[in-house]
Amino acid sequence: MATPIVQLQNVTKVFTSGDVETQALRGLDLTVEPGEFVAIWGPSGSGKTTALNLIGALDTPTSGSVKLEGEPLEDKSRKALSQLRRDRIGFVFQAYNLIPVLTAYENAESVMALQGVPLAERKAKVMALLKAVGLEGMEDRRPNQLSGGQQQRVAIARAIASGPAVVLADEPTANVDSATAETLLGIMRTLNEEQGVTFIFSTHDPRVMKYARRLVGVVDGKVASDERKESGA
Amino acid sequence: MTPGMILAMAWRNLWRQRRRTLLTLASIAFGGFMAVLMTAMQDRSFADFIDTAAKLGAGHVTLQHPEYQDRPTLTNTVTGTDVLRSAAEGDERVVRVVDRASGQTMVTTASDSFGAFFVAYDPALETAETFEYTDGLIEGELFTGADSDGIILGRILARNLGAELGDKVVYTMTDRTGEIVTSMERVRGIVSSGAPSVDAALVLLPIGTLRSVVGYDRAETTQVAVFLDDGRKSQAAAERLRGQVPSEVAVLTWDEIQPEIRAFVAMKIGGGRVFEIIIGVLVAAGIFNTMFMSVMERTREFGIMMAIGYTPRQLFALVMAESSLLAAMGLTASIAITAWPYYALSSKGLDMSEVYAQAGQVEISGVGFDSTLHIGIFPENAIAIGVAIVVATIAAGIWPAFKAGRVDPVASINLV
Repeated sequence: MATPIVQLQNVTKVFTSGDVETQALRGLDLTVEPGEFVAIWGPSGSGKTTALNLIGALDTPTSGSVKLEGEPLEDKSRKALSQLRRDRIGFVFQAYNLIPVLTAYENAESVMALQGVPLAERKAKVMALLKAVGLEGMEDRRPNQLSGGQQQRVAIARAIASGPAVVLADEPTANVDSATAETLLGIMRTLNEEQGVTFIFSTHDPRVMKYARRLVGVVDGKVASDERKESGA
Repeated sequence: MTPGMILAMAWRNLWRQRRRTLLTLASIAFGGFMAVLMTAMQDRSFADFIDTAAKLGAGHVTLQHPEYQDRPTLTNTVTGTDVLRSAAEGDERVVRVVDRASGQTMVTTASDSFGAFFVAYDPALETAETFEYTDGLIEGELFTGADSDGIILGRILARNLGAELGDKVVYTMTDRTGEIVTSMERVRGIVSSGAPSVDAALVLLPIGTLRSVVGYDRAETTQVAVFLDDGRKSQAAAERLRGQVPSEVAVLTWDEIQPEIRAFVAMKIGGGRVFEIIIGVLVAAGIFNTMFMSVMERTREFGIMMAIGYTPRQLFALVMAESSLLAAMGLTASIAITAWPYYALSSKGLDMSEVYAQAGQVEISGVGFDSTLHIGIFPENAIAIGVAIVVATIAAGIWPAFKAGRVDPVASINLV
């Protein structure tokens, strides 16, 4: 049996602001296998984004264990976590969050450049990815010259380009119209199916849940349901 | 991530806020402009001032009797001046070495008497480069040789004495043994130094004539004046000479001879430094503000970059690259806006005669100021200003760069 991509065991997370403590996660358990297309869903404040942050090595749990490809994250240095995010995790954010001064091509290329991938290899891969997400001919456009949907496509290309073990997408369809959302989800499903990229979404968008093959419901910081579907939309 | 990519990103980041970057560049350029002009004005005026003081006095370095400084009488002499001059001339910094004699005298005409000080020089050896008064002849003629006839008076002294060209003047002084001696000459010329206190008491004599009057031999005088290509080298030149002349000859620099001028120069340099520091702090504060605002506005962006794999060090490098580019552009802008005014003021100068006329007497310890303002910066000071601009700009980026590298991705992306 392959090592799970993600393993969260009895994870808790408490945020403190002044005297006020907020328990975002209350013993969350979650395992994601390679190649899965998972949507973590739940109401606002349920803890789904917090879970995504922990999986993405952006935050640390108050207690419990988070493992990525079998490796515990809690003992890693800041530098090691940076390298882990660079090499093994792709991010797609709700607000696209491209680097404004870089072109579509450069945004998609940036993480590979951080990895030290040779220029020719970077170019070939990025051009293929931009074509795959439907941005052929728009390589030289800056984010402010692209629509929201186009920016999110660049973000997907950036997330995939580095060859991550898992892509974490936080509400990736929240800021786009229905047609664009369908297109983006279709692109990600295709990448999942054809390239075996593991996707984990945080969402409450029914369209995402329609595409997902596994739905993990989170309520009050715990997994309330875990449903596997034969196939998504 | 190559340095080229970091530089490219830094360059583009700078121009995201075009107006702010241009304003910052303008402030750096203006700061550099002010610092260069202030320093150049100061450097040139001090260099001229020191040279003038040397020409009026006894050179950038002076060889004299050890007691002459405290008791400047004609009995305290140095001998063998031809040997002393040869020793001094062996230094490549030395441009000319001349014998000078100076002291107190009483000058008398048919109508009046005044105390005065005389400077005796060798017209064959002295030029306008070494002898300030030769430029100031306003009537008559200068001496043509060491044994020329006549006496030259300062403009105000001549007026006070009621003396005109060709009039008889009797001068009285003590000789090398301390005895009173008297001689009579006709007024050969009238000079103006630009310093009223000097013009009211100046008497010029040819050194050969003086030697005859006071009983010096041909290689004896009160001072041997050594002129250098740069007055700032006087300490080093004096140091060298001390090892070459007999112990009974004192070797003093211009500022040891004229400590009041040294104090004035030091005070002005200190004031100038304070002004430069204030300019530097203001410029650095402006740059810091620009860089800090730039980083604070991009907190979310830095959070994203951290999230996708940029290390704190890379973000630090990015912001430092931005401040370094700002420094390079600021320096270039500084040079661009300073070049022409610097050229104009250094070559043509600025006529300040009306300002000086309104200010009245403009002299320090008998050293007058040129009424045309010229500037000229010492190379080391120009380099120091350039380095200060670059260092201040880069230094102003350090804290913002550090902040960029410490961004918390979760808080800045606001995912929670």
